[in-house]
Amino acid sequence: MQNPYIPYPVVVDKIITEVDTKDIKTFRFKFVNPEDEKKYAYIPGQFGELSIFGKGECPIGIASSPTQKGYVEFTVQKAGVVTTALHEMEEGTIMGIRGPLGNSWPLDYLAGKNIVVVGGGFAFTTLRSLINYMLHEDNRKRFGNITVIYGARNPGLLLYKDELAEWGKRTDLNLNVTVDKGDATWKGKEGFVPAVCKEVAPSKENAVAVICGPPVMIRFTLPVFFELGFSKENIITSLEMRMKCGIGKCGRCNVGSKYVCKDGPVFSLAELDKLTPEY
Amino acid sequence: MEKRLIKKDALSGIAKKMTEDFMVWAPVKKEDNVFIAPLGNKDEPFFSYLNSKNAPKNVFFPHTETMMKYTRTEKGMAFSSEVKKADKSILFGVRPCDAHSFVLLDKLFDQEKYKDEYYIAKRQNTTVITLACVTPPYTSCFCTSVDGQPVSSDGADILLTDIGGDYLVEFITPKGEALAKYFGEAKADASAEARKNEIAAKAKEAIKSKIPAHEVKPILDVNFDNPFWDTIHRKCLACGTCTYLCPTCHCFDISDEVKGSDGVRIRSWDSCMFPLFTKETSGHNPRPSQKERWRQRTMHKFKYYVDMFNAISCVGCGRCVMYCPVNIDIRKIVEDISKLESGS
Repeated sequence: MQNPYIPYPVVVDKIITEVDTKDIKTFRFKFVNPEDEKKYAYIPGQFGELSIFGKGECPIGIASSPTQKGYVEFTVQKAGVVTTALHEMEEGTIMGIRGPLGNSWPLDYLAGKNIVVVGGGFAFTTLRSLINYMLHEDNRKRFGNITVIYGARNPGLLLYKDELAEWGKRTDLNLNVTVDKGDATWKGKEGFVPAVCKEVAPSKENAVAVICGPPVMIRFTLPVFFELGFSKENIITSLEMRMKCGIGKCGRCNVGSKYVCKDGPVFSLAELDKLTPEY
Repeated sequence: MEKRLIKKDALSGIAKKMTEDFMVWAPVKKEDNVFIAPLGNKDEPFFSYLNSKNAPKNVFFPHTETMMKYTRTEKGMAFSSEVKKADKSILFGVRPCDAHSFVLLDKLFDQEKYKDEYYIAKRQNTTVITLACVTPPYTSCFCTSVDGQPVSSDGADILLTDIGGDYLVEFITPKGEALAKYFGEAKADASAEARKNEIAAKAKEAIKSKIPAHEVKPILDVNFDNPFWDTIHRKCLACGTCTYLCPTCHCFDISDEVKGSDGVRIRSWDSCMFPLFTKETSGHNPRPSQKERWRQRTMHKFKYYVDMFNAISCVGCGRCVMYCPVNIDIRKIVEDISKLESGS
């Protein structure tokens, strides 16, 4: 059996700078041992521990979809020791990834329903995984209407710009991209995510909202969805905590009796209500 | 299983004999303290001890342990796991509360999903010989309040009970029975067992310190925000002594150490009492003050572990009570919690 503390060796295959500020990059990893890709079978919403020699590890949500074969992607903001080292890496370097860890977006629960995906800023990564998963030709018919509301502070801070453009051409997806403030070239929506949610007003009928973003966005977005009649069971989000082991043993990421690494990171609001508000 | 009798003065000899075939951990006196430590050639085990200063969890979960090794290569790094084959070991003469702690730690490290091979390898290769407490070691002992007994085979492979001139030797598990050859030929009769039961009952009676550990779970369920938590931490120095001495505290850190082109990833004991334990890169800390950290420690022992594994994560050894530099007493905390409203 695989020792869960030992990473799989991966090679940094491609590095994409996502934003104008250059502090958010997507790292595409290929497994050094091709058979490891099967062992790393993941579901959207799960995360991995990125592992760098001499620096340590950092838990990051998986940004690619399992429908994208041959590699796995993580979008990482440069912030601490490990992510700074990662940002300085060159393509071709060998490092490690552990996982996949945690639960996932509840795909079985989402199947057959209308899905509203709401993302803000840099927290769009595992939502992107979910969207690409649902849009894949093998999966699209398992889900009802898909509405995406995604916002960033300005156009330069939007992630996955090429993909957003592709999604915008599709007829089976209601895409709403917004920025707090546009620039000279911006032709899209302007406004905060909660306001756009209100404007788009997705129906609560047979619908689930999957919401991920900075705390301030969440705080103002939730009331909009309550007003639209979404129940707490049908609002789903993902938590972040400081982590080390990622497998519920090192003792730091618990919220009440649940370990965010093992029992989360994905929880419905109904589940969160039962936990202590310590995150 | 079989029971035998050995003369009291034979115990040291047996432990020393075992060192010929095994790595033996036993109580050893160092200056004024007794530690459970590897028994060297020149060491004399010290069995007339009360309890060891350290909890013996470090036998399975060392203070610091290498998890993997790295080498820097031209392309980045190469690495390999470092689960060492554990030495065949004997933990000779631990107290029943500490043996009980192993059962609790097993629940965490040996779960169905995510097995901790580092812990399990050492645990599986170690035979636990418990030395019953025929008289309570300390007035701060409260094992009987947290599912323990001063004479108990919980977590033991062999149980030794002082029944006067002899020790009654009970082989509890096949792993314990495999060591039968070290314990002489004298079979114990029914009277020896009757004597042991008598002693066990008296020893249990003699534990005077009691806490309502089982009563507080429903109270903790509904009192996360009680003002009670504003007070208990006030004198805490955040030194972490309670967590380091605790037989059931299992939190750890994982860090990297590099020398030249080689490096190791190690894990070391960590503590929920430390401010950095939960501090995130952004600066946000979900447990920003000692208040939240004390609530976490208390809840973890008496609520969260019960929710997760249906067991209280405290064995009543009293080390945290004895060694806290500012006399924070978990017994008093539990007692006070039991007086809060349960809300039901």
